[in-house]
Amino acid sequence: MAIEPQQAAAQRPMEQIVRRYPPEQRYLLAIMQDLQKEFNYLPREALGLTAAHVRVPLGKVYSMATFYKAFSLTPRGRVSLRACDGTACHIKRSQVIIDELRKCLGIQPGETTADGEFSLETVNCLGACAIAPVLVANHKVHAKVTAAAVREIIKSYGGRVDEPVGN
Amino acid sequence: MKIVIDGIETAASPGEMLLEVARRLGVRIPTLCYHEAFGGQGVCRLCLVEVTAGEVSRLVASCTYPVTGEIEVRTTTPEIERIRRHIIMLLHRRAPGSEFIQELYREYGCQENVPAPDPDERCIMCRLCVNACEAVGACAITAVDRGTDKRIDTPYGEASPDCIGCCACAEVCPTKAIGVSRAAGHYTIWNREFELERCAGCGRPFTSRPCQERIARLSGQELSGAQLCPECRKKQAGSRVALSMIP
Amino acid sequence: MSQLATENTSNGRTILVCCGTGCQASGSLEVLASLRGLLAGEAGTAVRASTKSTGCNGLCEKGPLVKILPDDITYCQVAAEDVPDIVDGLRDGTPVQRLLYRDPVTRQRYRSHRETSFYKKQHKIALRNIGEIDPGDIRDYLDRGGYRALRTALSMTPAQVIGEVLASGLRGRGGGGFPTGRKWQSCAAADNAPRYVICNGDEGDPGAFMDRSIMEGDPHTVLEGMIICAHAVGASSGFIYVRDEYDLAVVNLHQAIRDARAAGFLGDRILGSDLSFDIEIVRGGGAFVCGEETALIASIEGHPGEPRDKYVFPAVKGLWGRPTVINNVETWANVPVIIDGGAAGFAEIGTAGSKGTKVFSLVGKVVSTGLVEVPMGATLREIVFDIGGGVPRGRSFKAVQTGGPSGGCIPGSLLDLAVDFDSLAAAGSMMGSGGLIVMDDRTCMVEVARYYVNFLAGESCGKCTPCREGISLLLETLTGITGGRGSIADLDLLESLSATVRAASLCALGRTAPNPVLSTLKYFRDEYLAHICDHRCPAGVCRELTEFYIDAGLCTGCGLCRRKCPAEAVSGEKKQPHAIDAARCIRCGECINNCRFQAVRIR
Repeated sequence: MAIEPQQAAAQRPMEQIVRRYPPEQRYLLAIMQDLQKEFNYLPREALGLTAAHVRVPLGKVYSMATFYKAFSLTPRGRVSLRACDGTACHIKRSQVIIDELRKCLGIQPGETTADGEFSLETVNCLGACAIAPVLVANHKVHAKVTAAAVREIIKSYGGRVDEPVGN
Repeated sequence: MKIVIDGIETAASPGEMLLEVARRLGVRIPTLCYHEAFGGQGVCRLCLVEVTAGEVSRLVASCTYPVTGEIEVRTTTPEIERIRRHIIMLLHRRAPGSEFIQELYREYGCQENVPAPDPDERCIMCRLCVNACEAVGACAITAVDRGTDKRIDTPYGEASPDCIGCCACAEVCPTKAIGVSRAAGHYTIWNREFELERCAGCGRPFTSRPCQERIARLSGQELSGAQLCPECRKKQAGSRVALSMIP
Repeated sequence: MSQLATENTSNGRTILVCCGTGCQASGSLEVLASLRGLLAGEAGTAVRASTKSTGCNGLCEKGPLVKILPDDITYCQVAAEDVPDIVDGLRDGTPVQRLLYRDPVTRQRYRSHRETSFYKKQHKIALRNIGEIDPGDIRDYLDRGGYRALRTALSMTPAQVIGEVLASGLRGRGGGGFPTGRKWQSCAAADNAPRYVICNGDEGDPGAFMDRSIMEGDPHTVLEGMIICAHAVGASSGFIYVRDEYDLAVVNLHQAIRDARAAGFLGDRILGSDLSFDIEIVRGGGAFVCGEETALIASIEGHPGEPRDKYVFPAVKGLWGRPTVINNVETWANVPVIIDGGAAGFAEIGTAGSKGTKVFSLVGKVVSTGLVEVPMGATLREIVFDIGGGVPRGRSFKAVQTGGPSGGCIPGSLLDLAVDFDSLAAAGSMMGSGGLIVMDDRTCMVEVARYYVNFLAGESCGKCTPCREGISLLLETLTGITGGRGSIADLDLLESLSATVRAASLCALGRTAPNPVLSTLKYFRDEYLAHICDHRCPAGVCRELTEFYIDAGLCTGCGLCRRKCPAEAVSGEKKQPHAIDAARCIRCGECINNCRFQAVRIR
């Protein structure tokens, strides 16, 4: 694959991250986590660089990238919304929260809005069960969330929400 | 050490896999994910047997169970039969497109009529292909995703530069789930197209260049220009032997 | 920060602000900042108080929590605006009444949290320091006897240490309850050094958060437990595998490791002994299955977290094929107490087969939610009703789910069950990591089973056939039943297939996956039958099988349901009985959840 000048520029920070770790397979997870944190997803070139650095075939790295939920192969939004669907949240009707998020953002869990602003995920349990249901927006935990609160949270991150007009 | 399998006493060396001991003894234990070349994986669970050590009995996968003490083994019990029937039923639900699995479904007398999510699917996720790909040093295909969505694929589902077109994966697949499509002078596997090299002897197309290079490297040889197909190589070796016998 | 915070505690007051994940979500950092701001001025000299941020108190629902020592005052749900009142209260010696903890059972306000029914019946061992110390300050841990056990252990032979742990009867708090001492024993006996020690902090059971709380609130106890084990088994390095989602736990553990190294508790020749041992943190990648030992090991090695058959235990052949002890966070937190106080004292607590205490995360439909540590053998009734205050909003108790996705649902008839490893297993559930989720009559047990199986469908590693394919078929069958497409034959299939998944799966995830199905089938079969035969969901949860209506005789016409309904399906004049338009109703349950007169009914 030919490397565009743009890509070459993007590769430099990637290489820096990858080289922070010794070239051993045991650091794969850590390298990938740092890359995910930096770019909000795992760019293709980054997977290639990682594979080359720890000297494993690309297939192995790809297998890891798709196995662990912390990783995403497509860019996540500027604002990552993670709705907890752990048991405590579930029986406190987290489904209502997730439905509201879907409706407001027009995307399904696992997707990112077309403008790249918001991405929505459901997660299993954030360990904040006593304040269920919980929604995490970019690492900020929102407690005892209601459908109305969902709209406020989206607005507070600059999202536009149509007021409910009933069915 | 002494172990007893289905009433037959035999000797096993410590650490030897139970399945291999049974096979040596001629006791048949069904398997799908086991291959002599790769050893046990414990994936398909069809090879479960009941092991009794002292007072305690439990089910173990014979392909990954190392013999470490005196045990008594039963390779079939009503429970094991039910489990095997269920496993075949589940694999039939997953891969109803495979004739091999259809046959097993009949052989095991499965009855559950459960609708299949994908009627054309043939892969049973035994991973022999992944093992084969790793063994030839390519690692072009791996297990991707997890849970009920797990599948075997190349990175991004695209033609992999690591694939050498050796077709070992398709060869080892018990359910013919890996498609190799052939056209004049070409073939395609895992979305990658390879040009068929012709045999220097008979002129028949037989393999890809990357594959020849890999074989040469694995056997520590330099790849020279003209390559013979296995057929012609056999003939050549044969005639060499024949020639050497002429006094 | 920590240094400043503790400077004048000797003669002044300490104000402890809980900064666990739950309290932070409710704004405790703002409270702390506001307190610090105010105390920096004249008020600070007047009340002579310093502040401290602590780990999770476990009473997250009432957060942010603020405790004042030595006055022994506990304030709940504190906002930054309350801070001036709190400081004023300290000046004139009268607590701010409106912020005191109000017992949900007795409705009485208490000055100290220790007097409340939520705390009184608890017995804290693993959680002993949490909420009392600043997790970022090693001196706080040392002040409460921290690392004393390590000194004791280093004066004992490795065999003596293992002997103590064996004698204590400690069993692994993470799932199956394997005797901890036996694990250590086989690891120590296995040749093939180097040996490794791992802390399993991949707390994955949805509904359980005690390990998060310990790692956040008392990280040194985890380190101390691991170092003691390293001495006992002869290990040279240790790993803490922490769930990726636990940001604060990772930060606090890193700090603790740095401080422990600086203080000579980690590194070469620890406290002048022959023991050299260090610990590194591995962040998990987000996979429930990595809570399984062999999957966790694969993950640390840099592979997808797929388990392998455990015919040879990790204690003999674990990380990189070397002898490895893996224990979970709560187990490690018990170790220093056992060594410090002696095995005999520890073994006095609990039941015949399960010694010590267990931390439960009491959540779901219960009045007081939070972390609860009780002696093994406490009954479910004591935990749910005496400590937790029972089911809120006057609804009725239906079941309690223990053990996460591997556990089961226990019905009301077993409320007097003395909880320990063995009794829960006998009831068709398991201890698991200690999640305890209370369910009321508005919880559909078929849907609960479907929820867990759906969870496992995504979290199974997908390696072996029975788990991957069996769970897929279980899920399809359960989804059919909750969607109104079930048949009686489905129940037979669920039962026989569950038996196969349980017997044939490769790892504990698969082997326990059918528990939620089997336990609900056993105790709540009538609910399955209602879904299948009567086409109704008695709890009013499964949308296809639910129809809400308003009992005109009970409805007061307060209009709350009309206002809450997001679909505008409720109509009615003020003070007149309302009605629900079934065609518009989206079955979200807002009306029934909010009605104070039980007038919304399920057909």
